[in-house]
Amino acid sequence: MSSSTSSEVVVRARHLGKAYQLYARRGDWLKQVMFGWWKTYYKPFWVLRDVDLDVYRGESIGILGRNGCGKSTLLQVICGMTLPSNGELRVNGRIAPVLALGATFDAELSGRENIMIGGAVMGLKRTQILQKFDSIAEFAGIGDYMEQPVKHYSVGMRTRLAFAICAHVEADILVVDEALAVGDAAFQRKCLDWIDSFRKTGTLLFVSHSVVEVRRLCTRAIWIEDGRIRAHGEANDVIRAYHRALAMEKDDVHRFSARA
Amino acid sequence: MPSVNIVNGRQIVVEQLDPGQRLARFLAKPFEQMRDHQELIQAVLRRELRARFQGSVGGWFWAVVAPLVAIGVYTFAFTTNLQLPLADTMGSHRVAYALFIFSGIVVFNFFSEMAYRSPMLLHEYAHYIKQTIFPSDMLAVIAMLRATAYTVISVVVMLIFQLAVSGKLQWTALLIPFVFPPLMAFLAGMAWFLCAVGAFTRDAGYLMINIVPLFMFATPVFYPHNSLSPPWDLLIYANALTGYIEVMRDIVLLGKLPNPLVIGWILVTSISTFYFGYWFFDRYRNVIVDVI
Repeated sequence: MSSSTSSEVVVRARHLGKAYQLYARRGDWLKQVMFGWWKTYYKPFWVLRDVDLDVYRGESIGILGRNGCGKSTLLQVICGMTLPSNGELRVNGRIAPVLALGATFDAELSGRENIMIGGAVMGLKRTQILQKFDSIAEFAGIGDYMEQPVKHYSVGMRTRLAFAICAHVEADILVVDEALAVGDAAFQRKCLDWIDSFRKTGTLLFVSHSVVEVRRLCTRAIWIEDGRIRAHGEANDVIRAYHRALAMEKDDVHRFSARA
Repeated sequence: MPSVNIVNGRQIVVEQLDPGQRLARFLAKPFEQMRDHQELIQAVLRRELRARFQGSVGGWFWAVVAPLVAIGVYTFAFTTNLQLPLADTMGSHRVAYALFIFSGIVVFNFFSEMAYRSPMLLHEYAHYIKQTIFPSDMLAVIAMLRATAYTVISVVVMLIFQLAVSGKLQWTALLIPFVFPPLMAFLAGMAWFLCAVGAFTRDAGYLMINIVPLFMFATPVFYPHNSLSPPWDLLIYANALTGYIEVMRDIVLLGKLPNPLVIGWILVTSISTFYFGYWFFDRYRNVIVDVI
């Protein structure tokens, strides 16, 4: 890579790998911590292997793959939630992770308090959050529920609130992980429109099982299988290849149909 | 294998540094983290302080009442029928003995709140650590600051009580603010260590529940540290709280400047605990995220 383009690379991964440590018994964690320098007590379980990825500023990349293929782990590693086991990762810019929307809320707290903490986690200052509060509340559109504890919210409402926070972080990189599946149609459209406008200035990493959404939002796509990048390129080409692979498996589905 | 991880162009995991630079970076790191995340620390702390008395009508009233009741009970117990052989060593005023115990309790409660809570701390906040870019090392700092707030309330109640009963305060009580930073550093270090261990095994939490009450008797809360017989009067300083309680009593009750040797010992144990705790937590932090 030449030096002129490297300034525009916002996410750069080389040989990225992530292994979770699998233990036969629960107590082995402790042994590993105490005697790890002497002996290994776990089996490594590789969820990501040798992932190379360059994301340029302003690009939108769709990530396709089946459940458990390592998509979410890749996003978590990029967002800095877990460290990669090996490889090299470089991220330039503020990331807004739209992962597991609403799962991060404290159920006992009101929507308002969760906005204060959620915003602070994303790196906003208190004054900034207070400034944007009305706008966040309007985007979420949950009305008087804002003052209620989050435990009384429906899943859809949590998603609304969480997405509203993420939309106000002023991030450089937006990482969206199948987040919009639970919202109602109007809210999904609102989010997709917002993401669409975000793309004009920011970089997008987008995971979705909805190929339509990926096609609409993304210029490039990668297809991950078993923790490796299986295909990489023009969004339409990757989607087509992915579809073909899924169609081949359809035959198997008949074995499990409800009425034989 | 070399691993470089840069977020916002700032967080660098492995780089080429000579040992001196590496040490300097290590020593500065906890403070850099606190500075970078101060807004977040404030937001969570504010929430924690509010949550403590949430649902109660009294609210913060209880934070003042609890130490007041404790100090009242000690006074009642030691001025009426309970006779202790130590009472005359503490001067004529029997209230002095209540204050003597309370000044020990204040320090010990600060410690015990942290010791009970730390092993479960990361579990309590698992939803933040796993799903967001939450800086997990700051949780121990937040817990420590919360406990500090209650300790400060207790100390203020103690001083007001002393003023009300004896009519005067020792001028050395002005030194109390200098006792807090090393004590806070000591407990933060302990909290980092305990919450990292607690993340791996819940046994740490149960262990603390059993150990802490016993530990109270290995701490000079109910007796003066110098009432012990020769080998033990030095060995008790292995308990880092001893020094703090002695200093606290010196400056609040006796009005004399603390022994410089004790101060030196406090600083050494506290700073080393602080950095050991942080080193231990930092070392296992990426594993911790995957375990919880």
